[in-house]
Amino acid sequence: MISEADTSLTSSEDFTTDDGVLDEIRTSEVTHQEVIINQFAQKVIDFSSQYGSDTSISYTAYNITGRPSKFPDYGDFPETFAMRTYGRWWDVAPSTMQELQPSNFLDIPIHDFIVVEFEEFVIPQAISIYETYNPGAIVKIWGYFNTTESWQCLWSALPDLYVERRPRKFTPPLRRVCQPTKIIRLEFNHIFLDYFTEIDGIVLTGRKCDAREIADSRKSRKGPILRKLESVQFKLRQIENHNDILMEFLANDLGNFMKEAGLVAEDKEDNTPQLTLKDLPCEILFKILSYLDLVSIFRTAQVCRKLYDVATDPFLYQEINLKPYWHSACDDLLISLTKRATLLKKLDLSWCGLFHSITAPVFKDLVRTCCKNLTHLRLNSCKFINAGCMEVVGSVCVNLKELCLRNYSKSPSVLNFHCLKNLRCLERLDLFRTQIDSDLLLMTLRYNPTLKHLNLGICSATVNMDDVAIQISRYNRSIVSIDMWKSHYLSSVGLLALSQCHDLEEVDFGWCLREEASPGESLKILLRGCPRLKKVFLAAIRGINDRDLENITEFCPNLEQLDLMGVLGITYDMCYKILSKCNKLQLLDLSFCDQIDEIQTALWRDVFGVSIKRNFVPPDHPSFIN
Amino acid sequence: MQSLCWTTRFVTRALRSGFSTLIEPNNKPKPHFVSVVCGFPKDFHRSKYKLGKYGEDAWFTARSSVADVIGVADGVGGWRSYGIDPGEFSSFLMKTCERLVNCASFNPQKPVSLLAYSYCELLEQKKPILGSSTACVLILNRENSTVYTANIGDSGFIVVRKGEIVHRSEEQQHYFNTPFQLSLPPPGHGDNVLSDSPESADTLSFNVKDGDVILVATDGVFDNVPTKLLLDTLKEVEGEQDAVKLQMTANTIALMARSLAFDSEFMSPFAINARKNNINAIGGKPDDITVVLATVVL
Repeated sequence: MISEADTSLTSSEDFTTDDGVLDEIRTSEVTHQEVIINQFAQKVIDFSSQYGSDTSISYTAYNITGRPSKFPDYGDFPETFAMRTYGRWWDVAPSTMQELQPSNFLDIPIHDFIVVEFEEFVIPQAISIYETYNPGAIVKIWGYFNTTESWQCLWSALPDLYVERRPRKFTPPLRRVCQPTKIIRLEFNHIFLDYFTEIDGIVLTGRKCDAREIADSRKSRKGPILRKLESVQFKLRQIENHNDILMEFLANDLGNFMKEAGLVAEDKEDNTPQLTLKDLPCEILFKILSYLDLVSIFRTAQVCRKLYDVATDPFLYQEINLKPYWHSACDDLLISLTKRATLLKKLDLSWCGLFHSITAPVFKDLVRTCCKNLTHLRLNSCKFINAGCMEVVGSVCVNLKELCLRNYSKSPSVLNFHCLKNLRCLERLDLFRTQIDSDLLLMTLRYNPTLKHLNLGICSATVNMDDVAIQISRYNRSIVSIDMWKSHYLSSVGLLALSQCHDLEEVDFGWCLREEASPGESLKILLRGCPRLKKVFLAAIRGINDRDLENITEFCPNLEQLDLMGVLGITYDMCYKILSKCNKLQLLDLSFCDQIDEIQTALWRDVFGVSIKRNFVPPDHPSFIN
Repeated sequence: MQSLCWTTRFVTRALRSGFSTLIEPNNKPKPHFVSVVCGFPKDFHRSKYKLGKYGEDAWFTARSSVADVIGVADGVGGWRSYGIDPGEFSSFLMKTCERLVNCASFNPQKPVSLLAYSYCELLEQKKPILGSSTACVLILNRENSTVYTANIGDSGFIVVRKGEIVHRSEEQQHYFNTPFQLSLPPPGHGDNVLSDSPESADTLSFNVKDGDVILVATDGVFDNVPTKLLLDTLKEVEGEQDAVKLQMTANTIALMARSLAFDSEFMSPFAINARKNNINAIGGKPDDITVVLATVVL
């Protein structure tokens, strides 16, 4: 007997289906006028990188909010949002990191993201992004829908190989959705960018939702069909002796039934046994499944018992990367992984956990159960990390070789990095945009003599880089790459100290050495002591002059990337000398070097085959007229 | 920062000029400034008009939810001989103050910290900005109807109430014609260049009443227009809330300064001062003129 409860449609017409057909139906109760509003972004919730430091308003994520300040001008403006990296230059540098679990399918690799919040809930119809410098890096747009507490991808495309160097109000065609949102996420891929991309603002256009509509759509997450089904009740009809009847059927009639239904092939002449996937030995199955991405492995486990046993074996879960699945990574997923991944060696949970989809206790459980042998841990921009999490990490994962904790600048008191003092075999430590206590950092350096890669970009003003450099020269002589971008208190003393690290291949001193007139002698000694240097970034060290460049040409035969942005005192002749003598050079950044002009650099690009970067100068600017 | 949302049926245009009152006058929080700007660059006949600058002078006005802020800055001309445009520094300082106010990341009771933040932003620019300038910033804090001021150098302000000057800034000078200045020298020349820190600013704070007139100007005005003349002009607009009338007065003051500056026989305040320093000078002092005139509406 099927009984039916009384159902009546609520007045909300927010169907959950994505099919655009249904949302045209309106009942007579919906009488509000359709109001389309345009909004600029109000607040930045999260982002993965920015060019400026956290205390500044130049080139920082904050500038994406509000009305665009510079559009339709084109150029490199501090009133816009710029990210830290561009192109493939960081991928070919010595400090590059490979993505974990490369079999994870990601149609377009994402390098950076930004999440913004708008003031009013709207049903999104269009999103426009004002790009004022090197457009073309936006590859995906997501919207967060409170009704379903999930992210949906509103648009995605491959990065443009070539976009004209003009300001662009980019309005991609969005997928139609029928739920209100006010949180948008942009994702970027830099691979084809010639130089930094800069964004001036975002506009979200949509139909305004009033509070009643939002509340209604929260209550009724299901459409009318599902609601009706819920109200339906089924009562089982009990047959007498149903067990006997079933046994009889299985014994006698099953074979005929299968043949009639075509499920069994007719008897063949030869009785060769058919080999199925399930008959393969486990090792081969492991090998096959190891090429699959995480989603497919989970799905394989649902096929049959044998494949379930194979697909949930810890052997397949030694490297886990949830970064491509940031939008759906949740507590339940981590709990499943906790059961399966007992041999875990490498874990990447970066970008996951926004809006409480992952909570600290579940993470701690995962670490305690599975991470005793963990060697690589990446937790960039994870929102669920708190002091307790770090303590567990510190006590369990003592064999860590790689630790990435980027973007924890907001809550230094919460994050208890004292866990770091247990680590002894670190090879890579990435603390970009993370506040860390100076003494703790020095102690970590002391106890990890195998350290090869260190990233302290935009770390807090409490860390004295001279002290760090001296510590490195004492205890970390095998270091290969150091990133001190926009850090503080580096001086000639620090440079001299680093000259003891003869394995150095990459140094980034951008925006450092602010108190110095010229690094002069100390820079020369550093360059002489590190002949393997391939990447030297000296952006905005205003005191650098031709003599320093002379030293570069003399002591850096292996130089591949050189950044001299904003260095005033260098001349045409010295740049020419660098280009001629450093014949492995691939990248030379001469933006904002006023003594070099466009005609020369254009010539050099052709002659030397080096990618020379220059800031954009509008064609009617006096410097064009020689 | 407030986002802007409008319906396509009701499009409003925001006028961007010195007329801050023309935008929906009923929505302005009390108390607030009604402010207008006028000025002349020294080379008025040859130069193009640029918003926010008069020659090497610069100015800004801004409003946040807790305060109204106005300010002027005077670029030090001596940098021209080193190939540095003196107007860039002052213009950048004022524009950054405006941006900081608009994003409400400043302490509405400490104009010195506003200047300090703005000065630090200079170091974060890709394009190196060198030079130096004076600065004078006033913040009207809505919560307690108090004006907080910070002044470095020889720009300044005058507050007029009931026909009398009630507050006035002091000129800060190291020696004659060398005011205190915020500066960013080229690397390596730090020792040779006069550089005062934002903390050396004179600060003053006072309560304001409805109808108070505040004049913020660079030394192009104070060096050429005698105080009595300024007072007579200012006391006529006490309590004036109409921006048009205020603008006319600001124009008058600027024009007065301009004419007197080029009058070679007038005993200007500059000439009087010079004589006190044993320099035999006469006539006005041609200089960039910037006038920011505001009345307080409670």
